[in-house]
Amino acid sequence: MAEVRTIPETSGQTVRRKRPLHGVEPLDIVIAIILGVFALLIVIPFINVLAISFVTQQEYLKTSILLFPKEWTLENYKQMFIDGRIWTGYRTTTILLLVGVPINLFLTTSMAYGLSRPDYPFKRFFIFFVVLTMMFNGGIIPMYLLMKQLHLINSLWSVVLVYGINAFYLIIMMNYFANLPIALSESAKLDGAGEWTILLRIILPLSMPIMATMTLFYAVDRWNEWFNAMIFIRKGNLTVLQLALRSIVIDSQISQQLNVSNIQTDKQFTEGMKMAAVIASMLPIMCVFPLLQRHFVKGMLIGAIKA
Amino acid sequence: MDNNALIRRIIRSKETYMLLLPGVIWFAIFAYIPMYGLTLAFKTYKANLGIFGSPWIGFENFKYVFRDPAFMESVWRTIWINLGRIVFTFPVPIILALLLNELRMQRYKKTVQTIFTFPHFLSWIIVASVLINFLDMQGMVNGVIRLLGGDPVNFLGNTTIFRPLLYITDNWKNAGWTMIIYLAAISGIDTEQYESAQLDGASRLQTMWYITLPGIMNTIVVILILATGYIMTAGFDQIFNISNAATAKAGEILDIYIYRITFQSAADFSFSTAVSLFRSIVNFVLLLLADRICKMLGSEGLFPPIRRSARK
Repeated sequence: MAEVRTIPETSGQTVRRKRPLHGVEPLDIVIAIILGVFALLIVIPFINVLAISFVTQQEYLKTSILLFPKEWTLENYKQMFIDGRIWTGYRTTTILLLVGVPINLFLTTSMAYGLSRPDYPFKRFFIFFVVLTMMFNGGIIPMYLLMKQLHLINSLWSVVLVYGINAFYLIIMMNYFANLPIALSESAKLDGAGEWTILLRIILPLSMPIMATMTLFYAVDRWNEWFNAMIFIRKGNLTVLQLALRSIVIDSQISQQLNVSNIQTDKQFTEGMKMAAVIASMLPIMCVFPLLQRHFVKGMLIGAIKA
Repeated sequence: MDNNALIRRIIRSKETYMLLLPGVIWFAIFAYIPMYGLTLAFKTYKANLGIFGSPWIGFENFKYVFRDPAFMESVWRTIWINLGRIVFTFPVPIILALLLNELRMQRYKKTVQTIFTFPHFLSWIIVASVLINFLDMQGMVNGVIRLLGGDPVNFLGNTTIFRPLLYITDNWKNAGWTMIIYLAAISGIDTEQYESAQLDGASRLQTMWYITLPGIMNTIVVILILATGYIMTAGFDQIFNISNAATAKAGEILDIYIYRITFQSAADFSFSTAVSLFRSIVNFVLLLLADRICKMLGSEGLFPPIRRSARK
């Protein structure tokens, strides 16, 4: 859960900026090959998935080493939509995102800004109040019973509300606000503006980079949400996308493993449909990945482990 | 402090408290009530009475917990699996960062770095789906093995291969991301050190060993301690999706045990909560220790630098 999110400076150039660049040495070749192999090990499984999702059954049965289909087909994607589970998943997860992320941003921003204010009684207590939850939590069982008592089982609100604030993101944001010049809010206060007005009119326009980062982080977390949904929601028509994918790909694999020797006995070509579902579930992440990438190349190291 | 002055300061800060209010309410309901809910470990759960109303029974539940062989087994399994992680997955991002930093082809470097970080943003369900497809009996790896004349290996249904599989897939998903943290630390090393090393005629491997590595030692130690702190909890998402009926037993770490006894069989919520409380306490102590050790070693501790801004 508590994972260290960094937004570090990754431009290697700064390290050896002042070193004259020689030509490529044998050492570079060796390193390039090692890193290249690791990169290929990551890329090839994805290409394999992509290829299978576009391949025909005949070609799939001929070879299992598939990186580029000779004959392309959209049949697998059609099958996936006919199956319908991915649709349900898309619908539920989209609702989750549209309702959940604004709530995340509202709760996190207002509390982070409040915590970052310079001087008020019990400030340390409130910070401790947050930090304690990062080190100690009740776990899933009391949470489940709580949701039951709130009558939120089988309602999307359980999944929306259970992940309201990520304490790590909250502290990252708090540090960002604390580093803004204090004069900004002080002068507005002299003009009679309230804290909410200051936050909305003055602080937020200056905080667009951090707001964008937080939106991305929360959106990715929501997109990848499955555990809470698995526990709190048992209704089939509210299955989140990740669990829809799980039921398509992993559950069938689990039953396959029971009789180990079985070799592709099903008449229907399910493999292609499964891989189409994998592609469909990661497509949005692939689309925002350049953004995610840019945000941590941006050069700010926030909330990170500092040496 | 004079009470009136404090009250006056509180009244003056009322708007700040209004800012804190929504968040505080959220934490109170969804973090502190479940925390209080752990008292269920000392009660016998009655559905009609709820968490608050169920009667107390003392340490009764724990007697049964410690008598359950599956519980102790899962505790040890958790510790061994996660110690293995420290041996087999902890060094990988360090090596990657050192190598990537040494690479001079800028374009290639960027590409490789982008590829490395991508899987981190996917859920374990997607990663498991991709890797299961790649590794199962009809998968591409076995295709290559057959092509080379070997016998296909059942990577996913074999209990002896299960732990290596965990470490490999863990590296596959997360090594690139952790590498970024080390790269950030490397970019913080003083460039003068490199210049003087170069004047002294040090080779690139020597500078890597004598300057870069010591330069990121602090970060390495913090991440190592962090990994130790999460030894009781790491791995649920991964194991839940990578394991199957054949490997279920080999992968039953504490969190999976809790899930199994609570949500798959006839649940005894008090019993599960007792296990859960045990887990939370051990975890808390480990994290606290880890944090103290980090601070003793002069680092900022596991948590983002809160004190600095709190002092302002």
